[in-house]
Formats: sequence, structure tokens, C-alpha cells
Amino acid sequence: MAQKTTDAAAVLPPGRQPRLDALRLRLLPQLTARAFPIILVTALVGMFLRIATTSGGEIAGEQLKNGLQIGAIYALIALGYTMVYGIIELINFAHGDVFTLSAFYAILFGQLFGFFGLNVTTLAPSSAGGLIACLLLLFPITMLAAGITGVLIERVAYRRLRQSPRLAPLITAVGVSFLLEGVMFAKFGAANYPARKDGWVHGTAFTAGGVPVRWNDVLVLSTALGLMFALQAFVRGSRLGKAMRATAQDRDAALLSGININRTIAATFFIGSALAGAGALVYSIYYNSVQWNLGFRYGIIAFTAAVLGGIGNIVGAGLGGFLIGVISVFGSQLLGGEWENSIVFAMLIIVLTFRPVGLLGMRVPDRA
Amino acid sequence: MLETPVSPIPADSVDLPATAGQTREVESSAIFWLLAVGGLLLVAMGWFLPWFVEPTANGIGFSPQDVVSSSPTGVGTVLVYVMGAAMLALLAGLVVDAVAVYGHRGRALRYEGARAVLALTGVVCTLAIWVLIGLSHEEPLFGALSASAQTDNAVWMTLTGFAICAFAYGLRPWIIRHTSVSLAGVAFIVGGLVPYIFNQSSDFISWAAGSLAIYTLLGLGLNVVVGFAGLLDLGYAAFFAIGAYTAGSLFGSRHGVHEIPFWVIIFLGAAVAALFGAILGAPTLRLRGDYLAIVTLGFGEIIPDAANNNLFSQTGGPNGISGIDRPGFGHFDFGTDYRYYFWALLILISLVIICMRNLERSRLGRAWVAIREDEVAASATGINTVSGKLLAFAIGASVSGFAGAFYGAELGIVTPEDFRFAVSVTALTIVVLGGIGNITGVAVGAMIVTFLIFWVLPHMTEWSTTVGHTTGITQLSTVPYEQYSFVVYGVMLILIMLLRPAGLLPSRARKVELQTGMESESLAAVRGTV
Amino acid sequence: MSLLEIDHISKRFGGLLAVNDVTFDVGDGEIVSMIGPNGAGKTTAFNCITGLYPVTSGDVRFDGVSIVGLPPHRITALGITRTFQNIRLFSFMTAVDNVMVGEHSRMHAKVWDAILRTPKARREERAVEGHALTILSGLGLERYADMYARNLPYGFQRRLEIARALASGPRLLLLDEPAAGLNPQEKNELMGVISHLRDEGLTIFLIEHDMRVVMEISDRIVVLDYGEKIAEGSPAEVRNNPRVIEAYLGSGATTQMHTARSTPLRPANPADDEGERPA
Repeated sequence: MAQKTTDAAAVLPPGRQPRLDALRLRLLPQLTARAFPIILVTALVGMFLRIATTSGGEIAGEQLKNGLQIGAIYALIALGYTMVYGIIELINFAHGDVFTLSAFYAILFGQLFGFFGLNVTTLAPSSAGGLIACLLLLFPITMLAAGITGVLIERVAYRRLRQSPRLAPLITAVGVSFLLEGVMFAKFGAANYPARKDGWVHGTAFTAGGVPVRWNDVLVLSTALGLMFALQAFVRGSRLGKAMRATAQDRDAALLSGININRTIAATFFIGSALAGAGALVYSIYYNSVQWNLGFRYGIIAFTAAVLGGIGNIVGAGLGGFLIGVISVFGSQLLGGEWENSIVFAMLIIVLTFRPVGLLGMRVPDRA
Repeated sequence: MLETPVSPIPADSVDLPATAGQTREVESSAIFWLLAVGGLLLVAMGWFLPWFVEPTANGIGFSPQDVVSSSPTGVGTVLVYVMGAAMLALLAGLVVDAVAVYGHRGRALRYEGARAVLALTGVVCTLAIWVLIGLSHEEPLFGALSASAQTDNAVWMTLTGFAICAFAYGLRPWIIRHTSVSLAGVAFIVGGLVPYIFNQSSDFISWAAGSLAIYTLLGLGLNVVVGFAGLLDLGYAAFFAIGAYTAGSLFGSRHGVHEIPFWVIIFLGAAVAALFGAILGAPTLRLRGDYLAIVTLGFGEIIPDAANNNLFSQTGGPNGISGIDRPGFGHFDFGTDYRYYFWALLILISLVIICMRNLERSRLGRAWVAIREDEVAASATGINTVSGKLLAFAIGASVSGFAGAFYGAELGIVTPEDFRFAVSVTALTIVVLGGIGNITGVAVGAMIVTFLIFWVLPHMTEWSTTVGHTTGITQLSTVPYEQYSFVVYGVMLILIMLLRPAGLLPSRARKVELQTGMESESLAAVRGTV
Repeated sequence: MSLLEIDHISKRFGGLLAVNDVTFDVGDGEIVSMIGPNGAGKTTAFNCITGLYPVTSGDVRFDGVSIVGLPPHRITALGITRTFQNIRLFSFMTAVDNVMVGEHSRMHAKVWDAILRTPKARREERAVEGHALTILSGLGLERYADMYARNLPYGFQRRLEIARALASGPRLLLLDEPAAGLNPQEKNELMGVISHLRDEGLTIFLIEHDMRVVMEISDRIVVLDYGEKIAEGSPAEVRNNPRVIEAYLGSGATTQMHTARSTPLRPANPADDEGERPA
């Protein structure tokens, strides 16, 4: 080895000679990390073209739309993951189950209105006005319930462990997830639970490039995009949003500046869960049924989306959600629907291995 | 390089806290009393149990006295009398000692040598008789015994109890020096007797050989990853599945392979699982702890998915691999008696525990603690942190490979649904409940968790139906208790982490770590490679 | 000949050039100190040498062999060990276990030896434990061998860290502010230890803020400021170097400097390490 160094020194100016093996070791991961977005986009375009050539352009367009639609729901869930991780560096494992629980809330509230003589199931499909009235009733109340659930979980299961090693709250998070799933399983059973929202939102809104876009697609996408922009504006502009960003950067410094840490973290959980609640409502309208263990899959997929976009980054979570939606739909079109989960999980492993900071993320500081 | 000691520097006199030796003494005494009382309890049960069960048809074999009196004269009887005398003397001594210890601390520790000889004689005699009875079921010497299963149990319990008493009493100093060895020995003997004690309940045997033993193995393996190396693995079931599928494919009608002995198969299963552990670990172990948890979770779902989708047409799809052969060993055919699984697993678990203990105290074990506590300092001290973690992953995976091979052989079939997230969470609950990083804790955790989930919950319906009938509350009989297993896991995990984060039997170092909230800074993050 | 050669190394964190084209070397058997104001890049340079940070450019040679790009444990195995500014012991291991971890790179027990506890592994464990105890008693720590590292008094923790570093049998010992937080008597003892280690044949390279310690034990001193080397030489040369005085006290302080030579130029700041890392 000494010999090699001297040889290199003869050729290169002193202090500039690279060690080849070390260089190769360091460069390969760096290069893959740098080129990751390009590889990803190329892969997506390639998949799109492949579908277009094998199954026809309209199928490809239809699948793109489907990907964006499911991606919108992933994005809404991913926002909760990214916000909570950003502020307390916890993978809120129970977040996916808060989503499922909110879908059940949405169903139960519909029934509750029926108890007060307001039958949303018949009112909503009756006219556009009725539909809007129903949505205006259901959105706030579902989001509120979801938000309160999130805050309760934080208060009971996570707050006491805020100073513990990261393993401890993560294990409780798994516990909360199982508890919620167990309760939903015992309450609603193993089968698909009907949402009774048949024909709430129906009809084709417009046709783009031969692909019919239905109103419920519009509903899902506009809900996701609207809430994302609202959230971004809130975090950027409002007092509480500033407190959140400050707490995320340095909790102790935020505390010293007079920010109420507990309230800020609770608010983060509230907003994150409320967004998942909104996603759950549009999910139950779109798919018209809910299953008790839905949150496990959607949770991991949404987490993947958050990581892909760059965890802690709100725009990244949205972008990651849409990308993962499209990837999973394209992937299952190409490989078969039974591989959908594996595709997403493999994507998670790939992202974390090659570009753990995600597309838009910065290096996550590792707090000792 | 620096072999000679550097010059001594006068140490400032600092008040030392109570030395570790003193606490050890106290703890070990507690273990001694546990052994003594446990042994006596067994003796009492063995002695009195026959009076509480129905008399046997031919009216003999109620208790050990009957055995002695009904046995023809011979070596066995002489031994019984010798042992009886020795045991009675020891028993008397124990009582005297108990009084002495209660009254004047310390006096009990006299005449160690004489007592040790007496005790060893007692133990040897007892075990000799134990073996004789076991071997001579059809022999005239103990012919009377086979008349009644209860008497069998009674005699065995009595003898074992005596042996434990003699052991505990006579070898007290040795026990105090070798706490864990003696505890493990007793646990092994008592464990080996379990199928005899419960030989009326095939349910119980299949629970013990199935859920309990398999999950104990899984807990032990996961403990290497989570407890020793401090890496959270949420997809541990994947390696279990890999072991089970490997063994199932190579041992049975799936590919018509019947030639490889089962004892080779389990090692193949373990090796393949370890290989996958290393393959998954190599790219991902640079990640921070929580990211690693999620990656393993993803992997844990990919494996059953791949099995479900009949990957390379090797896994049999949703129906899994069926027709797995029953193992055999010499003239023990496991297909005829389920208890053989239990004994085989008991031996395997004991071996695994011994290996784990060795690991814990080895160079590698120290390296794991170092990595767990301060990854940066560990690497600067000369530890290859990546290979250390990789080894933890591979060793943990290989243990679950063993478990998988046995699981498939016991059920004769493996299906993808046997290896879902719930299995990983069960193993995690076991480790967390028992005490992260503590081998004994894991064993206890496995007992509690599998008892609750796989014994109590399935039997709850039956029990509550009975209660419902007696009390007249008919609703009780319709509660679907098994649906609540997820709730039980969830509540357990949350409560342990909130109330007793180091588990029921915490390992000493982990306890302080978890209470003070210290945590290793990731080396990768420091080096900027993440 | 020189044991450690630092050849034009630079380390960049984003926009911050923490170490800028620094060149110097440490001779075999020398005691060399590195001084400089807070944030001068001293600990960063240490981290680059020990492989904790990859260098942005430049080369580090140990005994003529380039060690750039090697992982930290390989560098330790080659014969460079270090202590940390903010003590990084394994708090929940006993003192003797800490030292035994230090011997890790010298041990040969394989996984199978560890699992099966082979005679070879047992022999090695016994030998290593004996050696660890010898090192501990050499540093006056034998009484505390079975205590958790975190329960040791501060001064002894510093000493235990040195013991751990010595356990791997290094040729070059890097000490990051070994005197920080010690009282005057402990500092004297520390200087005794350092010169004794040099007499044993070790080469020592240390970062220190306490000028009394630095001036008394160093053969040579390297001064860093804003990541650049601004001076190098014997204690006397460095003490009188106007650039050094300016770096520490600002311009115009040259005259005061001579009267204050036996006191620390500024109090050691335990948070220094954090200050050198990017936010």
C-alpha cells in the first residue's frame, strides 16, 4: 500500500492523490444519491411508455389518473407522518390506523345525522346543493374527531416518552396501532364494512386525452391539493406554524423563546390527524367500504411517500404521495396487482438505502 | 504495542458505593430460597396429590410409600430407603437452617463440606431412581407403578422435588456462585417433566410445543437484534418464514425430498435465514434506528407477499407448502407422539440459551453493548460497527430459522398468512415484556405472552360459556374473545413502555439506559454518509 | 521520521470550510499539541484523521501509508486511537469492560468462538481481562475496575478514556482536550501520564486549551485559526508568534501576552465540539 501511495504521489501534485478503493467506495452511493431523482423520473416515464405500448395509450392515461387519485389519499396521510416526524422525530406508527378509524367516524357520523332526522344518504345524491351541504357537515366533524383522536394518542402514549430513547415511543406507537386495529376488528368485524355512500358523487366531469375524469376523482384531488396548500400557508404564515417550525428545529431553544412545546406538539398531531381524517372521508366516498386493517398498508405506503418526498417536508410529502400512487398503480399494471404492496415496500427500502434524505429533504440532523 | 504497565498514579480516595458482590449475595440467597421452596412444594404435591385424585382400579399406587411397600426387595428399594433417610436428614437440616438464618444471620453457613457430600449423594440417588423408574416401566421391580398415571406423576414430582431440595440445600455456596447455571438446570428438569405432568391434556402439550416453544425461540433470536445490538426489527417474521419455507421445501412431498434428515434441515433453514438477514442488513444497517425499523417492516411484508404470489413457482401460493414430513430421531417417531417435539425444542432452546449467554459475555457481546451505547466511540475504539450489526442480524435471523423449520414440521404445512406482521409484533412484545436484552426475561415473557394469547384467549369462550351457564348471563357465551388478541398486544406494549420500560426482568444496564434516555448517535449521521 | 503526515487536508461542511489546506506532521516519539480558538477546526481535524469524517481533499498518511477513506475501526487497528473532548465512555459498562472493548481490535475470537465459548476464546478473554486490569492499575484505576464508568469521578473518567485508548495498543494517541475540567493537581498527574506514555514509546498528539499544560509538555505546537494553520514550532516560538497572539486576543495584544503566559488564554469551553459542527 505504501508503494502505491508513492507511485501516485509521483504523478499527482502532493495532497491531491486519490485513493482509488476508498474513492470508489464513497463515490458509488453518492452518485446514486445524486442521480436518484433522474433515475426515478426515467423509471416512471419508462413504465408509462411500456404500459402505453402494451395496453394502449388510454389505459396508460387511465392508470396515470388512478395513480394520482390514490396518490392524493396517500399524500393526505403522508402529511401527518411528515409533520409528526419533523417535530418530534417519531414515526407515528398508529397514524395509518387513525386514518382507518376516521373512515369509520365518517360512516358513523353519517348514521348519527340520520338519528337527528337528517338522512345524508338520501340528501347527498339528491342534488348538488344537498351534496355540498353533506360534505360541509361531514368534513369538519370528521376532521375534528380525527384530530382529537390524534391528540389523545399523543397525550396518552407518546408525551411521557418524549425524553426516552427513540425505541421506546416507537414501540408504544406499534402498541397504539395494534390497539386501534384490535378495537376496530372487534367492533366492525373482519369483512369490508360498507360506507353507504353509493352514488354520492358520480358522473364524468370532463375527458382529458380520451381519459374520462369522474367527479369523485376531482373531489379527491381537489381535497388533497386544497388542504396541502392551506397547510403550507398555515405553517409558513401563522403564529402556531412558526412555533411548529421553531420546535422542530430546536425544542429547547423554542422552549426558551416562550413557545408552549406541549401545545405546539399537540397541535401538530391535531392537524396531521385531521388531514388523515379528510383523506379517510374522501376514501370512504370513493371506495364505499372500509376494512379494519386498511391502515396498516396505507400507513406504510404513506410513510414511504413521506420518506420519498423528504421527511419533515410538507411539499415533499405531497409530491411523494402522488409519486408513490403512480408508481404503485403502474407497477401493479405491469407486474400484476398482487405485487402492489411489494412494489411499494421495495420502493421504501430503495429510497432509504440510496437516498434517505428523500427528493426534497435536507440532511436530517441526528440528535444525540 | 504497550505491553508494560504505565507508572502507577496514586488514586484519590473516593468512597466506593456498596460493592457489587454484596448485592449479588442477597439476590442469590433469594434464588436459593426460591429453589428450596419450589422443591419442597413439588415434594408436597407429589406426596399429597394421590390422595386427592380418584383411587385407581386395582387400588395400589397412591403415594411413594405405597410404591416402596409394594415393591419387591431389591436394589431399587434399598436405594429408596437410603435416599429417604438422606432426604429426611436434609429436610430437618433445612428447617433448622431456616430457623437459624431467621434468628441469627450467618450461622447457617457452617458444615458446608459435609452437607455438600450428603446432598450430592441425595441428588445422585434420587436421579438414579428417577432413571430406573423411567426405564423399568414394564419391569417387575416397579411394575406397580404403571398401574396409574397419577402415581407416576406423584413419584416423579416427589423425586424431582427431593433432588432440587438436596441440590439447593447442600450446594448452597455453589449455587450462589453459579446462579444462572443452577437455575437453568432446574428449569430444564422441570421443563422436561411438563409433558408428564400434563400428559392428560394434549391441548396443553401442543400449546407448549407449538406456541410456547416456537415463540420462545423467536423471542430469543429477536433479543439478539433488539436487546443486544439495539436495532429495532419489525419484520422479524420474515426470517421465520424463510426458515419455515426452506425447511418445508426440502423436507417432504413438495419436491419429493425425503432423504435429508430433519436435524440437517433445521440447520439449512437457519443458514438460509441468516443469509437473508445479512442480505437485508448489508445495505440498510447504516440507517438510523427508526428508519431501520420501517425498512425491516417493509421486508417483513414483502416476504409473505412473495410467498403468497408463488414466487418462482416455489412457494405454493396462498395454500403454502403442505405434506411436510414428520421428523424422527432414532426410534423416536415424532409423528406418533407430539411430546417429542416438546423435548426436542426444549433441548434446542437450552442450547440456544447457552449460546446466547456465551455471546453476551464474549468479545462480540461487548462490541454490541458498545455499539448500542455509543456508536461513534465504539468505532473509534476499533469496533467494526457495520459487521457487528450485521452479525446481530444474521444470528438473530438464524435462530428464527430454527423456529421456522420446527414450525413447519409440527404443522405439516406452512402458509403465507402464518408469517404476517402479528408474528413480528408477538415476538417484539415478548422481548419488551420480559426485559429487553435479558435472556431469562425473554423466556418469562414468552411464557406470559403465549399463555395469554394462545391459551387463555382461545379458552376464554369455553370458560365464559361455563360461567354464563352457571350464572345465567347468557351473553357471556357469545363474546368473541379471540378477536381481542390485537387489543391485548397493543395494551401490553403501551403499558410496559409507559410503566416499566425495561420490562419485567430488566437487564441491569438496559434498565438504566432506558430510564435515563441515553441513546447512541448514529455513526453514519456523524460521518455524513446518510 | 514522521509517524503521522497531514498533507493539505481540507474539510468542507456545505458552505463552511472547517479545515482549510492544513499540512503538518507528527514525528515518531514526539508530543505535539494543536491549539487554536474555539471553532478553529481542531476537533474536525481529529475527526478527519481518525476517519469519523471523510476529508474533502488532501491525504493523511500514517507510517507512510495513506489512511484516507478507511473506516474508523481500521484506522484504530493500524495504531491510532483517540479520546473525546466530551468524554464518550460506555457509561453502563464497568471500567474494566470499557478497557476490554478497547482491546477489541487486537482480539481474534471469531463468531463461532463467541457462540460456543471455545477454549481459545476463554483463554483470550482471560488474557485480555488480565491485560485490561494491568492497564487500569497502570493508570491508578484498579480500585474502580468493577464500577460503572458513569459512576466514576470526572477525573477518573478522563483517565479511563485514556486507558481504553491504550488498550488497542496504539502507536499514536490522539487526546482531545484531556485536561478540560480537571483541577490543578489532576492536571499535573495528567502531564505525568502523558510524558510517561511518551517514554514508553508512544507518540502523542493532543488538542488542549490549557496553555500551562501545552507549554510544559509539548515538543512542538501547531496553531489553527479559522481552519487554517497559522503557526507551527516549539513552545517558545509559538508563544512569541504575533499571528498567534492576534488570533487569540485580537490585534494589539502582543505586549499583554507576555505577562499572562502561565494562565490559560481562555477558559476551556466544553461545548466547543458542538460549535464546530454545522447546524
